[in-house]
Order: sequence, then C-alpha cells, then structure tokens
Amino acid sequence: MSLDSRQAVATHDGRADASVAANGDSKGSWGDTEDSYGHSGPVNKPKSPKPENAVTIAVSSRVLFRTETEQKVFEERGVEEYLKYQVEHENEPFAPGPAFPFVKALETVNSQLRELYPDSEELFDIVLVTYNHAHVGVRLINTINYHNLFIERFCMTGGSSPIGYLKAYHTNLYLSADAEKVREALAEGIAAATMFTPEKLIEVSDTQLRVAFDGDAVLFSDESERIFKTHGLDKFFEHEKEHENKLLDHGPLKGFLEALGKLQKKFYEKGHRLDCPIRTYLVTARSAASSGIRALKTLRAWGLETDEALFLAGAPKGPMLEKIRPHIYFDDQMFHVEGAAEMGTIAAHVPYGIAQKHPHKKDSSKSK
Amino acid sequence: MNTDDDVKQFVTGVVSLQKDPSRAVVIAISHDAVFDLKEEQEPKAPAAASGVLNPGPGFPFVKAVQRVNEKLVEKNPNETLLFDVILLSSKDRPKSQSEVANSIKHYGLEITRLCFCNNENFTSVLRSNKVKLFLSTNTDYITKAQDTGVPAALLYGQRGTATLDQLRVLFIGDSLGFSEDTTDRPKDEDTGEDQLQSVQLTQSSLEDLVALIGEMRRKFGRENSPLCACLMTVCSPRNVCVRALKRLRAWGLEVDEAFCLAGAPQSRLLAHIQPHILYDHGLQYTLDVPALS
Repeated sequence: MSLDSRQAVATHDGRADASVAANGDSKGSWGDTEDSYGHSGPVNKPKSPKPENAVTIAVSSRVLFRTETEQKVFEERGVEEYLKYQVEHENEPFAPGPAFPFVKALETVNSQLRELYPDSEELFDIVLVTYNHAHVGVRLINTINYHNLFIERFCMTGGSSPIGYLKAYHTNLYLSADAEKVREALAEGIAAATMFTPEKLIEVSDTQLRVAFDGDAVLFSDESERIFKTHGLDKFFEHEKEHENKLLDHGPLKGFLEALGKLQKKFYEKGHRLDCPIRTYLVTARSAASSGIRALKTLRAWGLETDEALFLAGAPKGPMLEKIRPHIYFDDQMFHVEGAAEMGTIAAHVPYGIAQKHPHKKDSSKSK
Repeated sequence: MNTDDDVKQFVTGVVSLQKDPSRAVVIAISHDAVFDLKEEQEPKAPAAASGVLNPGPGFPFVKAVQRVNEKLVEKNPNETLLFDVILLSSKDRPKSQSEVANSIKHYGLEITRLCFCNNENFTSVLRSNKVKLFLSTNTDYITKAQDTGVPAALLYGQRGTATLDQLRVLFIGDSLGFSEDTTDRPKDEDTGEDQLQSVQLTQSSLEDLVALIGEMRRKFGRENSPLCACLMTVCSPRNVCVRALKRLRAWGLEVDEAFCLAGAPQSRLLAHIQPHILYDHGLQYTLDVPALS
C-alpha cells in the first residue's frame, strides 16, 4: 500500500496542526481523538515516514521503560503469572527507562526537521520491538500515550526472535536490555547496543541530541584492539604509526554515525550549523599526538566527522562524559560502560570484537 | 444435515477425530488451493506419485490444522472442539474426484468430504455445511462469502516456507479497531449501506469464530502452542491497534503477536510472520499481499 506523503505543519512540540491535508490514499482516517490519558489536542498527528527513507531506531520495552518489577515476576513466577500481572496492571504506566531521554531527544530533532522540511520523510522513526506477548501490548501503548511519545509502529513477537522484524523495518539502530538479542542483531549487520538501567541519571539536554561513540570496535573495527590485547601497548603504538595512512576497517556503529551526519547536513543547509540540534562526539582512549591520527584520517576518508573528538590517551572516560552528557554513549568495553554509568551517563554496550573475549580487568593498565 | 438436491458431496473415507459434529469448527477450503491442479497448468514439479496431485498453497494450512487437532485430542481424548476441514470444488469430474481422494490418502490428510458447488449454490453449500470459515486464494470468492455473512480469509502463500508445526492465524485489525461510532469508519465512497450491512452480518459469525479459536488457544500454554493468533494493523494509528486487541480479547481471544505498521510496507513483514491465513474483512488492507508465490 503506498500512501502519498502529505503536508504536515508541525508545531514545535512535534504535533501536527489541524490544517494537515487529508491523505487521499489512506483507507483509515487518522482521526484518533482522545486516548485514555486525555491527550486530545489536534485530531491528526504527523504521519510516520516510510522505513526506507527514515532513520529507524528500534527500542525494546525494557530499555524504553522501567520494568524491573515485572521482570522479577517473570523470573520468579514464570510467563503465565507474568502476563497475568501485566494485564492486571494494564492501566498503570511504566516509568521512563534508560532509552527514554534518547527517544525524547529524537522526537525533538524530528519536530525541527518537520518545520524546516515539511515534505521530507528523512526523519527518525522510533519502533517498539519487543518479544513480549501481545497481552502486554495494551499496557505498553497506554504507557506510550501517558508519556505522549510519538511511537506509532510496534512489533510484539510473542516470544520469537525480533531479529527478522528488525530487518523488515530497515532498522538503523536496535537498543535492547538483552545482550543475546543485541549480539544476534550485530551478527546480521544491524547496529545494536545493550542498555542497562542506571542507579542515577544525570540530566541531559532537551534541546540538542547528543550521541557519543567510542572509536575502536564501535565506529572502527577491532583490529587495533587485537594488537593491543595480544602484544601490548608499545606494539600498538608502533602498529598505528606504521599504518597511519591505512584506513581502519569499519565498525558496527559507523552506519549510524553516517545516518546522523546526513540529518545534520540538512540543518547546516538551512543555516543551523552552530546551533544544530544534533551533536556527535568521539570519545576514545587513543592519544591525539599519535594513534588518534589514524582514527581521524579514517573518518575523513569516509566522509564522516564528529563535532568533537576527545582523545583521552588512556585517561578515564567518566569525567569527560559527565561534561558532555550524551543521550547515549556507545562503547565495546563493559568496563567503560560501567564506569560511565557510575557517574550517571547513559551508556550502552556494543558486544563486538576482541574485548568480549578478553574483558578488561579493573586494575590493569588501560592507556593506549 | 440438510443438503440441497443438486449439491453433490463426495465422502473421502477418512475417519475424522470429530466426535461431536455440532461442536466442529468447519473450515471450507477450495480444493484447488490445497492441491495443484494438473489439468489447468503445467505441473510445477513432477507428481508425487501417479494419480496424486502436488501440494498447493493451502496445503501447509491443512497440515497445521491437523496438528492442532492432534494436540487437542492428546490433551483430552474426548475433546469435541476440533477443526473439521472440508474441500470445495467446482469440478465434478470422476477423474478429479479420484485424484483428490488418492491425494488425501497419500498425504494422510484429515479431510472427510469434498463438496461440489458452483456460483449459484456456493453460499448455500457453505450454510448447509455450517461452515465457520471459508478459505481461498481467490479474492472474489472471499468477498462473496463475506457478503453473505460467512467469515472468509485469504490463504497466504509462500510456497515451501510455511511452517507445518504451528497454525498461524493473522487478523487485520484496522476495521476491528474502529469504534462503534460510524464516523470513525473508513471514509471512501464505497462505504455505503451494503458494506456496513455485510460487516454487521459477518460480525456476529466472526465473533463466534474468534471465540472458538480463543477457546482452543486457551487449552495450550503461552509457549509451544500449535496454534498462534496474530493481529496486525496496516495503516491505522496505535490506538486503533489497541482497540482491536481489546475487542478480540472481549470476544474471547488473547492474541500472541501484535504488529502496528502505521503505513510501513506489509509484504516484508508478512513474509516474516508467515501466517497461514489472513482475515481481513472486505480485503481493504491486503491489496498487495502475495496470495501465491
């Protein structure tokens, strides 16, 4: 079914005006008036973009919302009790989870993109992909309504693997609490990361989406990590210097950085370079003077850039991230993810590469 | 059972597990959907054996239904709520009859009868056999059945990939999720009184069917069930999907899987969901579904 794109005049909070033109092709009217939380407002919401045009972010229910209580019921009492519990509490919305600020920030960017490019479908599209059974669906949608999120697409797979659905939706990034599912997605070439519920969360910007990436084994392949792990620091430096002009291979999150870059360019073209609502950061343990050069040259050769590149030369990432306050920070090493989370940064683990086989020990040298 | 004088029936000799015909969930399916007809086209593959037809797109459905029956009887040997599959054919030729009978035997299908019908008596054949659900790959026949109040669904055909282990039923929820208020309904010019009437006619039979499927579903646990019910909304917003979920629940069926597409292309997702059958009243939302592949 093809639906024509239609004029959507967005107000700054992302909701379309009543003056939205009707879609001649649609069989159903978008007229969905009041939901049970009394969010009425305009009758027509902006239409979801076609998956192939949008940057599709798939989130699971456990990272979008806090579901620890329910998780406990599932683990202790089994699936039937868990489903019963969910249905009993259907009208109680969940609290926001670790991916919530990120999703909200994506929506902010969307509303600005809609203002600048009303006919474009190059937007973020957030899809809820969960292997929950559809019983839980009512509670999840009630929660989406309660928090006024713009998530119109979802997949509740009733226990089967969501990976096939991720591909069907042209997913650009998948966030889940389940490391196994994340690994499966990565194996299928889909950028993915595991998120954890932090003890504390520091406040993040509500006007600018900030995404931070580690370098090796996230944006780049883990080839250099391998050298470091097998032959140590000196060999690593030597290797990087020798191969300074040889491009690093790409890592699992390169495509996502690319997608962000495309959207950033749309803001630049309308004169919003300085106040662009998307900002990207490279936060790497490489050092600026030496090993960092190869990383920068690689990015440049790919036609990509990050707004800021922070070369820590082995210093802990926590304090730097605390200053940046990203909505999400991707790292392949649990050590760094945990360190960041301790300081309240929203960090996501990318279970890719050699670091998964040789996890970092807290007391060993970490400078690169 | 009342049959019209000119309706012929062919009893296959297969002994059904059905102990109580009044509780049977009778499903009628075009015989050319279950088997590949050799007379009409070049065979796509050599026949399994002589006098035996090759499987058609509806074949996995029949096998999957059989498995549900087996599992139901396993749980309760005196189970009366079982599926009863009958074939419909417009061909009344002895050759075709014996081919069908041989094929049924060859594949071990639990089909008790083959009914012959034509355009004129099609709907009365459905009625007299108390058909609760009609299946076809032919959208005209589906519409025809729906117009007379018999729930009818599309056989989803991805030859060779459908599972035989689990019966997968998909409901398209866009029309299920509209509220009672008719201002909510699709606003195209075709929606006249006839359309609304046919929806209402089929509605109560659909409710019955959904209640029966729900009852069957409840006999199995959440996991490893031989029967799986799915809901999909194609172009409606999320609250319509939720209303459809609740409506099915009110009728007695808790679906296992739910998908809200909000305009995303269906075919890739359907290819992954792999339902055996797609229920879409008026076939409004399944225009680009591949019925045969």
